[in-house]
Amino acid sequence: MSRHLTPSKIGLLALIRLYSDGVVPSSATIPVLSFLISYLLPVRSKTSQEDDSVSRDGFTVSIQKLQSATISHASVIPGRTIWDLLLKQLWSINSLDALHAFFDELPLLLEKPFDANADPPDSRPKRMLFPRNSPLGAFVRRSQLEFTRLQFHDGSNLWKSLIIYRAPTLAVWKRRNPAAGPSSYDSNLQAASFDPTGTLSNLVYGNLPLNSSKDGILKHGNTSTDDMEKLLDYQVSRMQRPGNRVPQAMQSQLRAMAKSGLIIPSVASYVHFLDAWKSGDYPSSFDSLHRYFDYTMQSRDRSLYQYALLNLAILQADFGCFSEAVTAMQETVATARENHDMPCLNYSLSWLYQFGRTHPEEMVEIQKKGVLGSEKEALSFLKAKAKESNMWTLLSTTLLSEAKLLLSNGDNVTQAFESIVKASHLNVTKNITEGYGGLMLMQSSIFDRLGVGCQAWSYCELFLQCYAGQSPSEDVIQIQCKSAYMLARKGRWEEAISRMDEVDHEALRTLRYQQFWITNLGILKLHRHLHRDELDAGDHVLAQLQAAPTGVPELQYSISIAEIQLHMRRGDYTHALGLLEQLLTDLNQQEADIFQRLKAMVLKARIYDEAGVPQKGFSVALRAASLAHKARLLPVLWEAVGAIGRVLISMKEFGATVRLIENVLPQALECEDCDLAAYLFSCLADGHMGMAGQANGGSLQRKEKLTKALEALDRAFEEFSRIEDIRGQCEMMAKKATIMHRNGDSVLANDCAAKYLDIKAAAKVQE
Amino acid sequence: MSNFTKEQAISLRAQLLRASVQCSERCLYQSAKWIAELASSLKDPADFNSPDDPDSDIAMPDGYPPDNIPIFSTSEDDEESRLEALEIGDFLLAKSFFDCREYDRCAAVFLPLNHSPINPSSVSPEPESQTPTKAAKGKGKARAQSPEAIPRPRTTSLPRMSQKSLFLALYAKYMAGEKRKDEDSEMIMGPMDTGATINKELIEIARRLQDWFQERTLQGKEAQNHGWLEYLYGVVLAKSNSNEDAKEYLIKSVHRNPFIWSAWIELRDLLTNVEAFRTIIPKLPQHLFAILFNVDANQSLYQTSPETHSTLTDLLKVFPTSQYLLTQRALLHYHSKDFEESESIFSSLIHTSPHRLDSLDHYSNVLYVMAARPKLAFLAQLATATDKFRPETCCIVGNYYSLKSEHEKAIMYFRRALTLDRTFLSAWTLMGHEYVEMKNTHAAIESYRRAVDINRKDYRAWYGLGQTYEVLEMHHYALFYFQRAAALRPYDKQMWQALAACYESIDRPLQAIKAYKRALIANIAYIEPSSSFGSASASVTTSSASNPTTNVFLDPELLYPIALLHEKQSEFETAASYMELVLAQEEGPASIHPDELPLGTMKTNEGGKRWRGTRNRCDGDDE
Repeated sequence: MSRHLTPSKIGLLALIRLYSDGVVPSSATIPVLSFLISYLLPVRSKTSQEDDSVSRDGFTVSIQKLQSATISHASVIPGRTIWDLLLKQLWSINSLDALHAFFDELPLLLEKPFDANADPPDSRPKRMLFPRNSPLGAFVRRSQLEFTRLQFHDGSNLWKSLIIYRAPTLAVWKRRNPAAGPSSYDSNLQAASFDPTGTLSNLVYGNLPLNSSKDGILKHGNTSTDDMEKLLDYQVSRMQRPGNRVPQAMQSQLRAMAKSGLIIPSVASYVHFLDAWKSGDYPSSFDSLHRYFDYTMQSRDRSLYQYALLNLAILQADFGCFSEAVTAMQETVATARENHDMPCLNYSLSWLYQFGRTHPEEMVEIQKKGVLGSEKEALSFLKAKAKESNMWTLLSTTLLSEAKLLLSNGDNVTQAFESIVKASHLNVTKNITEGYGGLMLMQSSIFDRLGVGCQAWSYCELFLQCYAGQSPSEDVIQIQCKSAYMLARKGRWEEAISRMDEVDHEALRTLRYQQFWITNLGILKLHRHLHRDELDAGDHVLAQLQAAPTGVPELQYSISIAEIQLHMRRGDYTHALGLLEQLLTDLNQQEADIFQRLKAMVLKARIYDEAGVPQKGFSVALRAASLAHKARLLPVLWEAVGAIGRVLISMKEFGATVRLIENVLPQALECEDCDLAAYLFSCLADGHMGMAGQANGGSLQRKEKLTKALEALDRAFEEFSRIEDIRGQCEMMAKKATIMHRNGDSVLANDCAAKYLDIKAAAKVQE
Repeated sequence: MSNFTKEQAISLRAQLLRASVQCSERCLYQSAKWIAELASSLKDPADFNSPDDPDSDIAMPDGYPPDNIPIFSTSEDDEESRLEALEIGDFLLAKSFFDCREYDRCAAVFLPLNHSPINPSSVSPEPESQTPTKAAKGKGKARAQSPEAIPRPRTTSLPRMSQKSLFLALYAKYMAGEKRKDEDSEMIMGPMDTGATINKELIEIARRLQDWFQERTLQGKEAQNHGWLEYLYGVVLAKSNSNEDAKEYLIKSVHRNPFIWSAWIELRDLLTNVEAFRTIIPKLPQHLFAILFNVDANQSLYQTSPETHSTLTDLLKVFPTSQYLLTQRALLHYHSKDFEESESIFSSLIHTSPHRLDSLDHYSNVLYVMAARPKLAFLAQLATATDKFRPETCCIVGNYYSLKSEHEKAIMYFRRALTLDRTFLSAWTLMGHEYVEMKNTHAAIESYRRAVDINRKDYRAWYGLGQTYEVLEMHHYALFYFQRAAALRPYDKQMWQALAACYESIDRPLQAIKAYKRALIANIAYIEPSSSFGSASASVTTSSASNPTTNVFLDPELLYPIALLHEKQSEFETAASYMELVLAQEEGPASIHPDELPLGTMKTNEGGKRWRGTRNRCDGDDE
């Protein structure tokens, strides 16, 4: 196979010649030129929107494509379309020698290099000449050069594939030239006037698949190493930027190419490595990575050693070999320093930092050596470095990391906002398209923490609407999961599940994304089961979730919380409390996100409450509330307030409870968390009930309080039914029925009781 | 040959097949191939059907199954066949080593290392040690039993073995030496490739063979030699530049066994000129192969006489489809510059057997001269499809690139051809041409020189050398080479013309005039033989603007310089008469179409006219 030349390139050259001969009328100039240019310009110079068109059209021009591009345009010769002339060009190459001649004549299309003794311009031929550096000129020059480089037998192979390439047009050509026959592909065979099935032509041309299928064309040298390289580079960019795997159809194509004996560029190994990596095939990705670097070592020497190590470290981290990953990364840092490769150094330091965030236990070694110093130092170091070497992407992500660090430490929210705005500014001014995912996620979660649910939601939507196409699949999936989670919180289960289903299934072929997605889906389902009181099913899902560790701390945390909640539903408070204690210790040890820690503390208070000893949870709830207040973690604060309310109720401080809860309720509702709202409303109802109990029997005050309690109960019931929380619904109904009963309204009480039974029955049936 | 009968055909076929088997047993692959090819091109016995044996077309042809054509040949004298039977295991082992190109290992089967003395001067110690005498004679002759056929132990340096085994062992040694020689030469035209590297095994092989022959002579068993060892000795002698001795041994060899085609080929290569050929003709045996040799040698000496053609025609009656013979005919036409005819023969040859690459490099030369680029490209394609790594293929491709004026690529292919086979003559010559084109005169001289060293009959190389020296303005040197070329091609106007030009430039006008006159004669003589057979072919000759109907036509291109030279000598009368001739050539034969005249002729005519104008004026002044 040739390095560069293919029959389709000869087709393009023929078209270029026609264009230069001036037979293309001005009306057809733009379509013809844009057709040519779409194949000549390097793929990378195209904007990302056009990427898809490349993969659709492929890199080689089939004869059918040439036909459809030219047949509709009349040429300046009356009665002939450009396609007719192109066919004439192609069929006039009627022997190997004619092919040589075709290439020998190519320099005539080019302007002569500047020469002082050049002829005056009027003596030039009439044809249009291309400047030597124009896209067409460069292509013509390159093709001619490549042809000169060809060995004789490569030339004759090219010639054979050209015969196959243009064979489908024989019928059309025959219409204009009745003399054309099955052997008219080579004038030598015609001149000798012997049958084309004879031994001689058989020996020279073998069995040419003149009416071959697409597959056959692929095998017969229709692709060059050059095309192959373009294709593979495109694959790599597809895999690296959005992080997808090679589509299955493409994979089989690549395999077919590899089988057809082409010289496969070593980057194919890299593609294979990425693919194996994404599919979670550790041994073969490891193997391919090493193969790739072995093959490229000779051409690029040791200068790329750090990149090999970098890839290796990331690979090992992805497969959970954390300590190896850390040592490899340390080596990377050292090599990059040695080679003064700033981008690589900064990137690896940034990676190391991120790695340390998720796996602090592996970082002890690093901390000791002081590669990065403390987290804050590391961040400021990275920021300085990124600015120094103009690595804007890195700077943007570092700023986001800074914001994240501030938030998770419960520090100043304003500072976090500042960092986010800085990052956003960078993204806009430096056109860092792939940075939007992280930014939007950060913005969404900061608003979520501030308890502005609709804002958080709209950021997710914004991202999915505007940036999903050009961002890494990982970000897209994360945001999709997050928005599904938010939907679920609002009780819109069906929408949440369908949102999860909207995930691009091509992206899910990457193992890591799939694991992430499945775990999220599992957690969603687990929550739903919990709410519906389907505890056995919950057990089942939980077991599945726990069986496949994800390596993402957030998800691990969610699973633990869900497990504790499951135990709580079962009434197994001892066990739940034990797990919670364990979780809290772990969180404290890892210096985890303050949000998680506070959530766990509030949960502890709720366990005490449910276990009937609410006062035991007072201090923890109060502490959580004060910390949440300090860190502006409003949803947690409201929940903590609810917990405090329960404590107050248990201490018969109903007035205080009601006042407390009524004050926080408007803001809590903004969080768009049904569970939280229901919890607070039921507290409120209890508070009112208590106040009604304290008031004199039959007094107006009591009645008023009872009505208020009923109102709160109704609201709580409403919230519970949104999230399909059976137990909550039942409790509310029971309370309502009791109140009705107290009021002496036995009909209504009966209604409520019946409703209660209905709900129970419905839940049973569903189960 | 016209009285060639069926019986003769059958026996000849059997003999040829046996010869082929013998050659292939001795690993003379090319010969085996050639003979087998010849045998298969033999007129089919079925074609001899005459009315008197009507049933022969259904019966098994006589000679089938070929019981007298063994797949494994045995010698016909008892002693040899007994020895061969004894050592059959070793022989097969050695032969398979040879087939796998493990030459040293092959030689070691019969000639273990401890037998090869370190010092080559320690010549055979006991020449008189005895072997049982045999009275058996060479091939195809009656055998006579020797009275004392009992073998006795020997103590000579040569272990006792059959001639076949000895040949194989020594030939393997020779091949090993050749291989090492090639390896030592390293890159083509590199620092080590001076052409001076020698086959280091030659001395030892020669010594052993000398011993052996001496021994046989002493034992009086010379008549029972099979000829193969003589052939090998001839080759060895030829390699060590003792050509006369080599010829002697080769002739001995073909006398013992005329079917050793390799020996004929070697003999042909040793003939440097026609005289040498004439002297050995009487010494040759009367045999079919001698006739074949005759044609081959004539062809290689550019003797395109009608006799050669008629012999060839006779041979073709016996071997109607022999591609070898057809190739010879095409080459003869090529030598007589009848390119059209030659092209058509070659063209039909590649149609009948497209896989055959032998001699196709000559075909490419023909196409090159005819400037038939598409055909040449096709031929190159064909050859490449058959085998990319044959010297012939590389030469064809090189010729194609040369025709396209891509000289670097052409040289690359010629070098490749030489890497494949250093003795591939045409590649050296053609590479010389390319270097001339690239103005690399030193390299050109070297490659021409190598061509001449390999084959002293290659007039193109001599001519090229002359031309190159002319470019360097070293006319005395050039003269020598042109003389050689002209000696090889006495009927080629081009050679004489070059020679004349050379004389002219070193200011020897008399010799120059002589040479021009020779060129004139050559031109005439050239037309005659070719027109003697197939006038159609001669009429389309484009090389000279001559017409067969006007034999007296003299090339004005030659006449004009003669006239000028005479003028320079102040022999105005003669000059004027030659000038008149020049003009007469133009005005005279009306049969010449102006289109057929090459541009050069037009120019000389113009010159002639102009000269006449000035002359007339001078004459007028004189009067």
